[in-house]
Amino acid sequence: MGQIIVTWSKTIKEFLRQRTVLFWTIGWPILWVLIGSFSFTGDAPAEIVSHTRGAIAISMMVFALMTAGMANLPGNIAQDRERGLLTKLMSMPISPWRDFCGRILALLVFSSLSAVSVVAVGYVCGARFFFTMNQFGYALGFILLIFIASTGIGMLIGTFIKHVHGAIMTGVGLTVVSAAISGVMTPYAYLPLVLQHFAKIYPISSANSMITYLLVGKDYAGYNPLSTSQITLTIIISLSVFAVGLITYSKFCWRKE
Amino acid sequence: MYAIFTENLTKKYGDKVVLKKVNLKIEQGEFYVLMGPNGSGKTTLASIIASVKLPTTGKVEIFGVEPEKAKKEIGYVPQENFSSPILTGKENLLYFAGLLGYSKSEAEKIVGKLLKKVGLLEDANKRVSNYSGGMRKRLEVATILFPYLKLLILDEPTTGLDPSARRKFLGMIQELRDEKTTILLITHIGADAELASRVGLIDEGEIIAEDDPENLKKASGLENVINIETPIKNEKVATVLGAFSERRKVLETEEGYRVFTKDVEEATPKIVRSLDAIGCKATKIETVAPSLEDVFFKLTEKVVSEVG
Repeated sequence: MGQIIVTWSKTIKEFLRQRTVLFWTIGWPILWVLIGSFSFTGDAPAEIVSHTRGAIAISMMVFALMTAGMANLPGNIAQDRERGLLTKLMSMPISPWRDFCGRILALLVFSSLSAVSVVAVGYVCGARFFFTMNQFGYALGFILLIFIASTGIGMLIGTFIKHVHGAIMTGVGLTVVSAAISGVMTPYAYLPLVLQHFAKIYPISSANSMITYLLVGKDYAGYNPLSTSQITLTIIISLSVFAVGLITYSKFCWRKE
Repeated sequence: MYAIFTENLTKKYGDKVVLKKVNLKIEQGEFYVLMGPNGSGKTTLASIIASVKLPTTGKVEIFGVEPEKAKKEIGYVPQENFSSPILTGKENLLYFAGLLGYSKSEAEKIVGKLLKKVGLLEDANKRVSNYSGGMRKRLEVATILFPYLKLLILDEPTTGLDPSARRKFLGMIQELRDEKTTILLITHIGADAELASRVGLIDEGEIIAEDDPENLKKASGLENVINIETPIKNEKVATVLGAFSERRKVLETEEGYRVFTKDVEEATPKIVRSLDAIGCKATKIETVAPSLEDVFFKLTEKVVSEVG
């Protein structure tokens, strides 16, 4: 068995067997899909209810991806460090890069599972999406960017916040606050001007708008996020955050003092 | 060629010197115990040997090469419980087998044998969160029993175990010793060190004495120790007992105190009377052979194992 496979297997089991991880990454966003679908669409005209529910489902899917990357990943890293597993691993003839790949693959599978669950519940609740296969392909690409950016932030948190609870709470806090002020959980149009600028720079909210624009419609994105400059900016920032996270993780978490 | 060789090994954290020019030579097949109190530098020394930390200056060789190159032959059990509580015992060992490059079928076979060896075969499919402290430690020791590992480093493996679990655990270590694997065990518990072929006493980053347990006791000059169990332990009792002890120092233990004196027969009745006079009745008073903890205390006037 390769190091990547066993690390993947260990990490995915740890994600799937922890009730708190399951609740906050899958249960909590689903709960908001349910609340959002039936509370915030009550008086809306029938023809836009399904769109609104679609936008809510996408927002909560993005929130689930953020929680997975920004809270579960650092929690997992901090937990392995706190209980001495990283010390044990450093004494073994293994590669930090393979450990990283195993963890990220597990996170990718777990994130996909949570994203699919949230969208599926949204669909059952009446959310509808309208897209061509091309648009769907682009949307998947932007989902991947959210995963990449969240993972990069998660690696930074996991590297610098040493204790498990601290790492998880920081991740959750950052997820909730950044989602709230960047238009993931509030409509872009209602944000003050300064936060509208932030929403365009923050790669997660930018990608969220792109997915919403593609799958639900331009009215729900608040602006046209599919300009070349906006897409380029989102890709560059997502990849940069990921690269910084990866370098930091491999340099500091596995550093011999 | 030594299993472990260090020359003038020094480790500093900022201005703090944790290890001071440590020279250690451990032969292949030796069971070496490094004993010292908390903060003496023993864990730092073990982690440098295990290639987890780097020395500031000095030389370290494991089987003639630097630790990084000898990783394939080193099995290290750090002080912390590193096994995943969410996984089963078997899953934990399969993870480590995979990290060491075993194929799935090889890993299954070898993990079965290891679980049997550490007495956890019946509990293999239970989650580690349901294991007792002793079971968890045995599982973690199993991670260093993969066949080609020749140097086993165990950092405080018996800390926190109850006496029965400690006995079982030490029995298992004894079996490993018979297999001629080189073992470096770090401890602050004297009884654990009694099994060793050689014991190194470490204090403030320096190895202050090194020999087999019996020779260490002989060299310390300690003949007999009076072990006193008292219901009361305080400064007054310690002062009274100190009057009968060498250099007026007594060693505090879980149950009471240990007094170091050359003339046991003369001192014992006086101790009983003196304790009575201050209203402290000894529940048990006996003459015992010196322990390695007594030797450490004699040499440093420090308690190797803090009384809880």
